[in-house]
Amino acid sequence: MRLNRRQTLSLMGGAAAASGLASPAIARQRAVVGALRLTSHAGSFAAYERGYFDEAGLDVELRFFDAAQPMAVAIASGDVDFGITAMTGGLINLAARGALRVIGGALQEEPGIDGQKILVSNAAFEDGVRSPADLDGRRFGITQAGSSFHYMGSKIAAAEGIELEYRPLQSVGAVIGALQSGDIDGWSIVPHIATALDGSGAVHIIGDVADYIPDYQVTTVFTSRENVDDHRGLTQDFLGAFSRGVADFNAALVDATEGDSAAEEMLRLIHNYVYTDQPFEEASPSIRAGSMRLSPQAALNLDSLRDQLDWFKREDLIDESIEFDTVVDTSFVETQ
Amino acid sequence: MTEARAEPRKRPVPFRGGGFRPETRRGLGAVVLIGLLLVIEWGVAAGWISPLTLPRPSDVIATFGALHETGMLYAHLFPSLSRLFMGALIGVSAGIAVGFMIGLFTYARAGLVPLVAALFPVPKIALLPLFVIWFGIDEASKYALIAFGTFTPTVVATYGAVDNVDRTLIRMGQSFGLSWWSITRKIVLPGAMPGILSGLRISLAIGIILLVAAEMLGATHGVGAYILEAGSLYDLERLFAGVTILSVLGIIVSAGIGRIERRLLRWRV
Repeated sequence: MRLNRRQTLSLMGGAAAASGLASPAIARQRAVVGALRLTSHAGSFAAYERGYFDEAGLDVELRFFDAAQPMAVAIASGDVDFGITAMTGGLINLAARGALRVIGGALQEEPGIDGQKILVSNAAFEDGVRSPADLDGRRFGITQAGSSFHYMGSKIAAAEGIELEYRPLQSVGAVIGALQSGDIDGWSIVPHIATALDGSGAVHIIGDVADYIPDYQVTTVFTSRENVDDHRGLTQDFLGAFSRGVADFNAALVDATEGDSAAEEMLRLIHNYVYTDQPFEEASPSIRAGSMRLSPQAALNLDSLRDQLDWFKREDLIDESIEFDTVVDTSFVETQ
Repeated sequence: MTEARAEPRKRPVPFRGGGFRPETRRGLGAVVLIGLLLVIEWGVAAGWISPLTLPRPSDVIATFGALHETGMLYAHLFPSLSRLFMGALIGVSAGIAVGFMIGLFTYARAGLVPLVAALFPVPKIALLPLFVIWFGIDEASKYALIAFGTFTPTVVATYGAVDNVDRTLIRMGQSFGLSWWSITRKIVLPGAMPGILSGLRISLAIGIILLVAAEMLGATHGVGAYILEAGSLYDLERLFAGVTILSVLGIIVSAGIGRIERRLLRWRV
């Protein structure tokens, strides 16, 4: 068939309109999300696997780390956009240097939900250490000065009026080794590691962290200063999708309101990332045991974060002059 | 014609010797260092070096001041020095003994050289967890790590030095009827000394490197523990203050060995 000029033009216009409709009005945004292979990162896993990031217009790439500290440094260097880990001394110092900011909350202690445990070695247990108060003058394992373990030990010691001797051992694996050999006496850790160790007969659980730090905001969501200031849309989209993942996780495993099949489905989803070296049947009780509350809507617990910041100052791990508002940005999520 | 023949004789011959002999220029090293520090200071102050990348040298110096005033400098320095001293003492003396045995005895050489070659490339940091099981998390494991790290390079340097002792001197000693023990003490030991001492420079530098690794586990005080803590807190001022202490330690050790060299090797012409 032959087209005249007007028909050709209208066809071209139609084709242009069709291609314009096919792609979303706004270009899709890329985001790299840092994660550890722990149940406490289930919010990111669920949002990724169930396509919530996709629906929010984000092309997300999960990048895995071995420890919290390198993730904070990777955000400062611009390799990662969003991270979820404990508010460590390193993270606060990077925030003070203008590299990143805390924008939301994640893992938190909640009364009535199995939380982090206080452990003692067999040797200490046989020596009569049956409650955290008995740890006076004994060796408490931490990974690094200013880590969440250091904070927990310090809060327990202050509440019981005892003195602890902190032993930095760099990695969780080294702390577990030292606890098993009796080189250190006490430690505190997330429930799935604690129950596994207690079950193997290598250590004893003698208390709950929640009794000492009731509303402890263990991990936070943080991002680069650039994303906070210049890419607010991206940051909001990420938090929205992440919160949907968190809600799924809480409903399926923490509150268990969705029934057994939903719980099973969520466990399988998490098993894609956590304990991948074990068959599902072995891994699922550990994953279930590690299911602590993730803060709904990534809400921030300001009292807990203020307390942590003040503790860092008291311990001379960060500069006295660092303001709370420099570290935490409360404009993205609700606060409690 | 006569003029042309005379010309080559008239041309002056320039002196082509000289050069290829570095001379000492005292203080130039310090000038380069201070110049570099001033550039960094200016860069960070002016903002074209981000405070995330490098700390201000003046802040690092202030950190040193605070360390000195609170006495923490000595609280960190003393345990590290004692660890370095004890570890290096064990490692170097065992290394020299084994090195001499390899250098002097056929069976020791045949049996131990492959073993040393196998131990040398093992990263000592990788063995840290094993050392903790063997020696606990207290001082013993730190001594052991540094001793192990300084041992192998000392062995290699020592037997290499013994091998390089001038054979004609040994033959001469034998011609003059010296006993085996006399030859070892009066010819082999002094002859091997330059090689042993230059090996010692490397061994002790490795010892300082391993100090940080040794203090990874369970150390609350020490320069290495201080550096690790600063790293985990991303506190660049403290990190650089700690690294500077290690550098100064390296310079002091190297200068100390230089002194020993001058004293022990006076016989060299």
